[in-house]
Amino acid sequence: MKRYVIRRIFSAILTVFIVLTLNFIIIKAAPGDPIKSLMGKDTNDPALRAALEEKWGLNEPAYVQYGSYLINVLRGDLGTSIIYNSSVNSMIGAKAGPTVLLGLTAALAALVVGTALGIFCAQHEGGIIDGLLSAISYALDAMPSFWLGLMLMIVFATHLGLFPTSGMTDPRSSYTGFAHILDILRHMALPALTLALVSVPGYFRIAKSSVVQVSNEEFITTFRAVGMSEKKIFSKYVFRNAILPTITTFGITMAFLITGVTLIEIVFAWPGMGRLTMTAINQRDYPTLMGIYLVVAIGVSVVMIVVDVVYALFDPRIRYE
Amino acid sequence: MKKLLAITLSLAVFLLSGCGGNSGNAGGSQDGTSAEPTSGGTAVLQTYGDVMSFCPDLTADDNFYLAAQNIYNRLAKLDAGCNVIPDLAESWEYSDDGLSLTFHLKENAKWHDGEPVTAEDVKYTFEYIKAHNTCTLCETMAIVDSIEAVDSHTAVFHMNTVDMSFVASLSWYACFIMPQHIYDNGQDWSENDAAKNHPIGSGPFKFVEYRQSEGMSLEANPDYHDGKPSLDRLFISIVPDDTTAMQSLINGELDWTAVTPANMVSEVENNPNIRLSLNALPSPFRIVFNLENEQVADLAVRQAIARCIDRKDISEKTQNGIMPVEYSALPSMSWASNTTDVYPECNLEEAERILQDAGYAKDADGYYVRGLTIDAFDLAGYPDAAKLIAANCEKIGIELTVQVYEYNAWSQKVENDRNFIIEIQGGMIGPDPAALQWRLRTGDWSNVGGYSNARVDELLALGAAEIDQEKRGDYYREIQKIVVEELPYICIMDYAVYEGSNAALQNIPMDGAGQWGWAEWSRAQFTG
Repeated sequence: MKRYVIRRIFSAILTVFIVLTLNFIIIKAAPGDPIKSLMGKDTNDPALRAALEEKWGLNEPAYVQYGSYLINVLRGDLGTSIIYNSSVNSMIGAKAGPTVLLGLTAALAALVVGTALGIFCAQHEGGIIDGLLSAISYALDAMPSFWLGLMLMIVFATHLGLFPTSGMTDPRSSYTGFAHILDILRHMALPALTLALVSVPGYFRIAKSSVVQVSNEEFITTFRAVGMSEKKIFSKYVFRNAILPTITTFGITMAFLITGVTLIEIVFAWPGMGRLTMTAINQRDYPTLMGIYLVVAIGVSVVMIVVDVVYALFDPRIRYE
Repeated sequence: MKKLLAITLSLAVFLLSGCGGNSGNAGGSQDGTSAEPTSGGTAVLQTYGDVMSFCPDLTADDNFYLAAQNIYNRLAKLDAGCNVIPDLAESWEYSDDGLSLTFHLKENAKWHDGEPVTAEDVKYTFEYIKAHNTCTLCETMAIVDSIEAVDSHTAVFHMNTVDMSFVASLSWYACFIMPQHIYDNGQDWSENDAAKNHPIGSGPFKFVEYRQSEGMSLEANPDYHDGKPSLDRLFISIVPDDTTAMQSLINGELDWTAVTPANMVSEVENNPNIRLSLNALPSPFRIVFNLENEQVADLAVRQAIARCIDRKDISEKTQNGIMPVEYSALPSMSWASNTTDVYPECNLEEAERILQDAGYAKDADGYYVRGLTIDAFDLAGYPDAAKLIAANCEKIGIELTVQVYEYNAWSQKVENDRNFIIEIQGGMIGPDPAALQWRLRTGDWSNVGGYSNARVDELLALGAAEIDQEKRGDYYREIQKIVVEELPYICIMDYAVYEGSNAALQNIPMDGAGQWGWAEWSRAQFTG
């Protein structure tokens, strides 16, 4: 087991390194550069361009830029944003909080609701509720998240006046303590609801199909044949087997949590990583983009190790191979 | 268990929706029965993204422009009609030879930390910009030999070239006066604490707080040299999506939005709580020909394409008719616009005849000219405008393919590599007609199409150096006459959008033509 984990960690480090290098090549290969954003749309003065390229070291050969970036990363320094002239570490740090808060809330809500409904429908397969929920889940799947967000905004903020339209806090008041937390929760309600609604169908279908599948296994039939109670069969054998794919899905969601949900963050003016990523792409802010992708690569690798280890614990065949 | 869940849920809904409530508009009721101005209140204004730096002279940062115009001052500023009006300088005059420009500063202006604003600050600011080639305005300062602080409120610019557009250049972007006592410490401006954390200006509002990705809070400056603003606070809120911003305005969370999406105009124009004001800029949608390309270097092809542009149709279909059509080479809102010698009307028969007269013959597929492309970036309306032009070209036998790029990629291809045949773009031509030189002068950096005409170059030089405004106008009108004949670029429509604002607000920036600045909120007040 120990050797297995070490091997996985080693391959994860290699993956992160390869991703980092590929990112560097792809970003550099994209047309355009951050200088255009620094100069502004109404200027295209070559002397200004040259001066700015020199200031940010963009006139150096690519391998020199890559080398110095790599050294800085090994020191834990993601560099300085060309557009905002501030450290990428602190920018990611400032925006990760709101993103994780929103993403985690919505993911947990979707996990619980989707899985519970999925299990219920699996146990009552073919019933009216099952048909209804399956139809709803397909409908939700077909809705673009930004559109659903706007609709919820028009219904709950504009017409019912229950929740604020956008932002994370009320700029006219400076709440502190509990009132501040409530203010954030009120602002988070609609984006979290949108995000949860579009994620529920995934959990719903995975839970339903695995429960249905496991329930039809021969060992379950055997338990039924020997007269074991349905409750015990479900909680002790069906649920434990059926929940594994859900855990994997949730793990993958967690890994991508940090990049945020760009469209939802834009629609609801939520101050998170998704918007940071989007503007970094549009403005070709190389250090910020590299930083975000690196964090994502590390996040995915760590989660994958955890998932693999959990699987290996459950399934000895994996670790003996 | 179920009961507990129900209680918890209803409590949560109560807390989330009830607490705080919609605080509405501080400072004024929305029923609008009386219109007495009241003082105080917070106005929440829209911007699109995080600020690059709190020093507004380093880059042309659109996301800081609104805040910068309320925190800082310039010598002169632009009003909502794009006219130059006094700011820190109450007046200025050129010497007879046009080579010295004297600014007389207001005597009661103070920095936010209480220090007086002096001519030394002006001298320091522009000397720094001139000496630092990473500042946006560095090249504009090349015509300035030296700056002299004659006394604490008189600054004289000594110049090597007469340029009557210079004051307009000092009223636009990246030309805010910076406090010498804060910035002159040997550090680069971008590294100064005031640029990174706490801007200090001389404007009507003082910086209070910046919340990453949320916005910036400003408070009224009680010592402002033009009088304390009526509003207590401004909050410049980052809302990247215009539809969301409009919903927030409808719901009373925002008090001003920059752009009303064209499809929402009819919905909100009947809302008594919202006021729409048309913000039109001398910033035309235009197509530019790359004259180094053999096909479009032929005037007949450009003349034919010029007659394929149905301006009214383009404005209707891409902007719901909000943007006014433009037939002049310099936008008709400019004082120097030539509205007599204008681009031709759309006329497809004439377009085809021009091609035939020039000796073009149809090929087997019915085309006179093949393989032309028009490069557009993927922002509001540009690709659609290009498609409408291409559709008309197709009808008369010009094969024109629309290629759409993301903005930065477009900029690389068109502006840097000049690898295009026809491109469509926007962007402000500039506050003074002299800005035409960047688009038209032989070899200039924004002249992406490589246009060159000796008479135009001569007229541009004459126009910049002429002190008499009437004569300047004549030079620029002659340039426009040549442009509509030779067609290096063709204007289509002028950028215009409806700003949305809380109807309870009066004296917003749009109301201030001739009196206060373009994005300046110093006079705004709620009526209650």
